Amino acid sequence: MTPKASSLPGRFEGAADTLINWSRRNSLWPMFFGLSCCFVEEATTFTSRYDIARFGAEVLRPSPRQADLLIVSGTVFKKIAPVVLRLYEQMAEPKWVISMGSCANSGGMYDVYSVVQGVDQFLPVDVYIPGCPPRPEAVLSGLLTLQEKIKSEKPARAIFNLPGGTQGTQTPIRVDGQTKSRDPRGPGMAGTAIRGASATPVDFFDSRSDGMWTPPPARVELNEDEQATVALLQERFGDAVQPVAPTSDYATVQVTPKRVTDVLRFLKTEAPSRFQRLDDLTAVDESARRNRQHYPDFTLVYHLLSYDTADRLRVKVPLTGDAPRADSVTAIWPSADWYEREVFDLLGIRFNGHPNLRRIIMPDHWQGHPLQKVYPGRATDLPPYTLDDAQNKQPLDGGIYIRRDEGEEKLILNIGPHHVSTHGLIRYIAALDGEEITDLKMEIGYHHRGVEKIAERQTWHQFIPYTDRVDYLAGAANNLPYVLAVEKLAGIEVPARAQVIRVLLSELFRLSNHLVWFATLAHDVGAMTPNFYTFREREIILDIVELITGGRLHPSWLRIGGVAADLPDGWQTAIEKFVAIFPRRLDEYEALVRRNPIFKMRLQGIGRLRAQDAVDWGVTGPNLRACGIAWDLRKKRPYSGYEKFDFEVPTATEGDCYARYRVRVEEMRQSIRIIEQAVQNMPPGRYVTEDYRYAVPKRPDMLRDIESLIHHFVNVTRGPKIPRGQAHAACEIPRGEQGYYVISDGLGYSYRTRVRGPGFANVQVMPLLAVGESIADLIAIIGSVDYILPDIDR
Amino acid sequence: MQPIAATDMLSPWNPGVFSLVVYTAVVLVLVGLLLLICARIGKINRTPEKSRPYESGIIPTGDARLRYPAPFFLVAIFFLIFDVESAYIFAWAVACIDLGWRGYLQISFFIIVLLLGLVYVWAKGGLEWGPSLKKKIKN
Repeated sequence: MTPKASSLPGRFEGAADTLINWSRRNSLWPMFFGLSCCFVEEATTFTSRYDIARFGAEVLRPSPRQADLLIVSGTVFKKIAPVVLRLYEQMAEPKWVISMGSCANSGGMYDVYSVVQGVDQFLPVDVYIPGCPPRPEAVLSGLLTLQEKIKSEKPARAIFNLPGGTQGTQTPIRVDGQTKSRDPRGPGMAGTAIRGASATPVDFFDSRSDGMWTPPPARVELNEDEQATVALLQERFGDAVQPVAPTSDYATVQVTPKRVTDVLRFLKTEAPSRFQRLDDLTAVDESARRNRQHYPDFTLVYHLLSYDTADRLRVKVPLTGDAPRADSVTAIWPSADWYEREVFDLLGIRFNGHPNLRRIIMPDHWQGHPLQKVYPGRATDLPPYTLDDAQNKQPLDGGIYIRRDEGEEKLILNIGPHHVSTHGLIRYIAALDGEEITDLKMEIGYHHRGVEKIAERQTWHQFIPYTDRVDYLAGAANNLPYVLAVEKLAGIEVPARAQVIRVLLSELFRLSNHLVWFATLAHDVGAMTPNFYTFREREIILDIVELITGGRLHPSWLRIGGVAADLPDGWQTAIEKFVAIFPRRLDEYEALVRRNPIFKMRLQGIGRLRAQDAVDWGVTGPNLRACGIAWDLRKKRPYSGYEKFDFEVPTATEGDCYARYRVRVEEMRQSIRIIEQAVQNMPPGRYVTEDYRYAVPKRPDMLRDIESLIHHFVNVTRGPKIPRGQAHAACEIPRGEQGYYVISDGLGYSYRTRVRGPGFANVQVMPLLAVGESIADLIAIIGSVDYILPDIDR
Repeated sequence: MQPIAATDMLSPWNPGVFSLVVYTAVVLVLVGLLLLICARIGKINRTPEKSRPYESGIIPTGDARLRYPAPFFLVAIFFLIFDVESAYIFAWAVACIDLGWRGYLQISFFIIVLLLGLVYVWAKGGLEWGPSLKKKIKN
C-alpha cells in the first residue's frame, strides 16, 4: 500500500493507530478457558502474588462474547478441538490467541492418538509460551509479548474503510507437511530410523532385555481371610475357579467366562468377607506377549475390595477371539456401566446385557480400539488433524443423550465441555423443567490423554512424569501408587527416609489440592474472596515443593526405589514456618464462609448421597467419608509407613455438600499433623535403595564404580527389566483412591498399565446427587464433589 | 390525622426545566458517542458460528422458547390472599380512634387468625417452591 492510495494524512493515521493500539493492548479480556494442567498456572496469575490486573487483563471472562484473548492453556484433544474452534469463532473481534504450554504448542509429551499435535493446526496463534506447565511469570511474559505485537498493528485503515492495515491475529494456520513438520526426528535427522532403536512397539522385537536375567517377581503369602475366600470359591464353583499362585500383591483367581457373574454375585453378597466394591474393571490385550501360547487373546480383570476385612481380590477372566463377548455385571454393581463401556471403547470387548454399550472415551466417529496392541499409539503415526476435522467432527447433539417424547416440552441444556463451573472438560447434559433438573447425562472423554497406551512404550522410569499429570493438582501424590506398584512387583525395598519424604510430599500436595478445592467451591457458590486467600497459602506450599523438588505442579520427584534426591538445606525451617502459620489461616478461611448463612444454605441438604449408594457405585475419598463410612486407605491398608503416623480420619454422616466441605477442611488439619510428624521424625539414611538393579543409581555412585555405571546406563536407556508378573497398588490421594495395576512381560516397558482414577467412579454418581435439585445447585454439587478430568479420562 | 405542615424542614426543591435538558443532552451525547466509537472501531464480522447461541461450545439442542412452569404459583396465591386481607387492617387503622377498644380487640383477633394461617402455610411448606418443595414432600 503506497501512501498515495490513502486519502488519510499519514500523520493522522499513525496517531490513530497509536491511540487505538494503546487502548486495546492495555484492556485485553482473556477468556476463562482452560484445557488442562496449564490452566491451573494461568488461573494462578490472576491471584494475589502474580496479579495479572497489573497488565491490564483484569478478569477472565466466562463467555467468548466478552473476550478478545484466547489463551489455549493445556492439551488440545481431538475430541475437544471442534469446541475450541467454535469458541474462537464466537469471540469478539479483533481477537488474539496465545498458545500456552508444550501440549498446545506441539502436543508436547503427549504424542498419542487422542491429542492434536499443536493448536496451530486449526487456530492461528500469535504467541507461544513454552513450558510444561509454564510458570505464572511465563504467562505474564506471554501477555507482554502479545502487547508488543499489538503495538505493531495498523487498525486505523480498516476503521476508516481503507484497504490494507492489520488488526487481530493474522498468522496463517499451519498445514502438516507444508508449514509444519511432525517428524519426531527433528531437522537434519532424516537419515536415521524414524523411531531410533530396533526395539519398537508393539512387540519390541530384538529387545536386549530378553537376554537379561532378573530374579523372579516378589511373592506374598496370602492371609487367612484370603485363603478362606479362595478355598470357598473352589468348593462352591469347582473347576470354574482356579487360584493363581503365587502372586505379588493379593489373592487372584481365574474364572471361566460362563460363571463370572455367579462368582461375582457370590463374592458381593454371600462370601464371608463381602467384596462390596467393584474397585476397577479393565482388560488386557494379550496378543503381543512374549510367550504367546500361554495366554488367551484377552483377559478381563475385576478388582474387588471388601470393607469388612479390607481385603482385595482379583478375578481374571480369559477371553478368546478378535472381538470377544463377556457377560455384563451392571446388574450386580451399577458402577460397572462406565467401566464396561470403557473396556468396549478402548479394547473392543462387548458385554452381553449392558444397557447402553456405546463409546465413552473416544468420540463416536472414532475407528478402532486404541488399547489393542495393533493400534498405533502415536499421533505422529496417524493422519494429521486438520481444520476440516475441527469443523466437521462435532460432539453429538444433546437430544441423543436425552430422549424427548412427542409434544413433551423440556429444555435440554449443555453445561460444558467449556464452562467455568465444570472444572475441566466434561459435558453435562441436563433436562430442565423450569429450574429443576429432571434428568442428567454426562459425556466424558474430552480429556483423554492416552496415558495407559503411553505406558506401553515409555520405560518404567520414563513413565513417572506422566503419572504427575494424571491428577494435575496432586503432583507427587500421583507418583506414589505407580512406584509402589512397580516396587511391589519387583520386590524393591524402599529406605525409611525415602518413605517419609514420600509421605511428606503427598500431604503437602493434599493441602495444596484442598486449598484449590476450597477456593473453587466458594467461588462456585458466589464468594470470590477465598480464592485470593487460599492461593496465597498455596503459593507458600508450592515454594516448599519447589525448594525440595525444583518443580511446582509436576515435580516427578518419586523414583522407583526412593526419591530423586535428598532433602535440600533449609527444608525444615521452610516447612516449620508454614506449619506455624497455617492452622490460623485455615480458621480465617473458615470464618469467611462457615458463618455465612448463604454459603450454608447453598450446601446444607443439597446433593445428598446415601452411604449404600456410595458403596455400590465405588465412590472413594472424602466423598465416601462424608457419607459416614470411615474408610481411608492410609489407615485400612497402610502404605509407605503411614501406620507410624498419628492422625484421624474425619467423617460426616449427612452425605450432602456441606458434609463434604467439613470432611475436606478437617482433612487439611490432619494433613498438617502428619507434616509436623514427618518433619520431627525424619529418619536419617539413604533416599534411594541400595539395590541398583531396578533403580536409577545415585550420581556419585555412578561416577565411582562400574556396576552402578552399568545399571545407570541400562536403566535410563532401555529401562530396567522388571520381572514378568503383575502388581496393584492404591493410595489415598487427595480426591480418593488412585490405583495402578502394572503388568510386566519382562521388558523395560510395562506390558499394560491400568490407572484407576477416583474421579471415574465419583462422577458416575452425579445424577443421583443432582436430579431433583435446581440447576444452580448442580454447580454447588460439582464444586463439593471435587473431581479432576485427567483422572476420569486419563 | 394531621397533615405534615413543616415545609421548611425539607430542602427546597424547585423543578427546573433547564438542568433537566442539559442532563438529558449530556447523557444522549455520551451514549451516542460511545456507541459510535464502538461501531467504528470494533471489527464486525458476521459468520454462522458467531450468530449461533453460545452454549458451552456445543451446538444447542431444540428451542429455548418453551412454556415455562410457574412453580411459584402457590406463593403468588398466598400473597394475594394476605394482601387483600391486609386491606381490612388499613380500613381499621384509618378509623381506629372512633372504633375504640372494641374495634381494637376485633382487629387483634383478625390479625391473630391471619398469623395462625401464615404459620400453618409456612409449616406445610406452602412458601417453598420448585425443587425444594418436592424434596420436602418426599421426605
